[in-house]
Amino acid sequence: MISDLDTAASYGHVCWSYDDPAAFDRRARQFLAEGLAAGERVRYVTAEQPERVTERLRGLAEFSDALRRGAAQVVSLDSTYPGDSVDPTAQVRRYAAATEEALADGYTGLRVVADVTSLVRTPDQLAAFARYEHSIDRYMRVRPLSAMCGYQRTALGERTVAELACLHPESNVDGVLFRLYACPPGDGAAALAGELDTFNHELFATALERADLCPVDGELVMRAGDLRFIDHHCLTRLRDYAGGRDATAVLRTPRTAAARLVELLGLSGVRVEAAR
Amino acid sequence: MRTGAAAGHEGYYHEAVPYHSDDELLAVVVPFLLGGVEAGEPTVVSLGERTGGLVRAALPADSGVTFLPGGDLYARPAVAIRSYQRMLAGYVADGATQIRIIGEVPRAALGPTWDWWARYESAINHAYDTFPLWSMCAYDTRITPAPVLDDVLRTHPRVVTADGRRPSEAYTEPKAYLSEDRAPLPDPLQRAAPVVELVDPSPTRARQAVDGVADGRLPADDVEDLVVAVSEAVTNALRHGRPPVRFRLWVGADRIVVEVADGGGGPADPFAGLLPAADGGAGGLGLWITYQSCNHVALHRAPDAFTLRLTAGNPHFTG
Repeated sequence: MISDLDTAASYGHVCWSYDDPAAFDRRARQFLAEGLAAGERVRYVTAEQPERVTERLRGLAEFSDALRRGAAQVVSLDSTYPGDSVDPTAQVRRYAAATEEALADGYTGLRVVADVTSLVRTPDQLAAFARYEHSIDRYMRVRPLSAMCGYQRTALGERTVAELACLHPESNVDGVLFRLYACPPGDGAAALAGELDTFNHELFATALERADLCPVDGELVMRAGDLRFIDHHCLTRLRDYAGGRDATAVLRTPRTAAARLVELLGLSGVRVEAAR
Repeated sequence: MRTGAAAGHEGYYHEAVPYHSDDELLAVVVPFLLGGVEAGEPTVVSLGERTGGLVRAALPADSGVTFLPGGDLYARPAVAIRSYQRMLAGYVADGATQIRIIGEVPRAALGPTWDWWARYESAINHAYDTFPLWSMCAYDTRITPAPVLDDVLRTHPRVVTADGRRPSEAYTEPKAYLSEDRAPLPDPLQRAAPVVELVDPSPTRARQAVDGVADGRLPADDVEDLVVAVSEAVTNALRHGRPPVRFRLWVGADRIVVEVADGGGGPADPFAGLLPAADGGAGGLGLWITYQSCNHVALHRAPDAFTLRLTAGNPHFTG
């Protein structure tokens, strides 16, 4: 089940945590088949030998013809993400080029499945990849690239998966209560959804650091139309983060309690604005 | 320089005025107020509509006394403390050497929510002691229940009536008074089984439970504030209490009542809830937020449990 799927955040950037590789493969094929049906080029990025995966897909009706036409591609993880640790800027540039190429070839967009478990095994790798996740999320928000990012929970642990899942607009990860993701350009620095409380304020602070958000005119605007709850710890975290960027945090939310908490605590670095 | 009965006193000079008639109230209050104006001290009336009207009528026109609208300031004890502290700090910043205030809790506060107002009356001996404040708290003995009057005498160091002023022999230091256990009056809703009962719920599960029963019966803002309060209460119980944490919720026509209990002893700070913990200590800010966000919070310490009862909507039940 994908949590909190809603139209505002459904531009196809999905975090998929799994225990069983076979189950992930089934979900990945389904995700890619939906892309083919929508006229997209699809790309299966795998840590296995690409030839073996190609062979498996060739036996499936929905992929055999697409593989022949070049609508479906299978590529290796190593060639897609060169180097020991991802370079966020360079990696976004690569996917942007591949997306534009798919469009030039007549497809409606590019859809990717990648099991990137092996790219987030060390703290440095994780930090770099989490930064990349938000960078590519911003690109996906505006261009027809979609992706399912696979993470094997049994190999990475709950905490690592949580640090990555919260940077996706959609995920299947239970227990990750909030999501920080790109909002349409001009709408704000980022969107927040879900619930932020004492038990995830450290995860929230980590997510903010990795998202590396840019204030505009001294304001860091967070679109929080789908934020159901925020407590005083997380409001303080947001204030501190914006303050570190010489900005006032602006939280646009339909929830009125946040404004009362800000007033109660005298958090001068946060402004809550009513939003639908 | 302080003037009047509080001349030479440091900090807060806190008097109760248990009056038996309107004339007695005026006999005490009018000289108090006029003396303040004459001394150039900020002089404030924060009474309900009836008693405020009596005092206003007894004062000369343009008396120089400031009348505050009573209602909102005394909506919740923690809100009253915060509002008064701001007001007092403002007067002191403007050079006041003494501030005089006559106030009264609303009549409804003498009922089922009296326990938190009694805690308020005790806590302000400490909370306002950094200000040169002389205040009188009026209690009409014709409508004030005897147990409430007992608490009034235990929470006010001094008593003034038409016969004069005297120390209150029953006065109990706030730390001792606030550390006593007082079982709150059971809400009649609690005679029935709770509509939701959870053991060791996550804060998000507890928040969902409140949202799940709201169903438009209370204003959305009240429900959101209860969600905030419940979240803080459950977080505190999980973080600082002892398992099991029990969450129980009742729904009435005009209110939602939530109890959060754990097996611990509750906060060590006797002022918890009424004042934010000065050192940011265990759960102090969360309980203070809870007190700001509900129409009544009752706390109860039993030998093996600490229970918070939170009410959104109308807490002034009868029966």
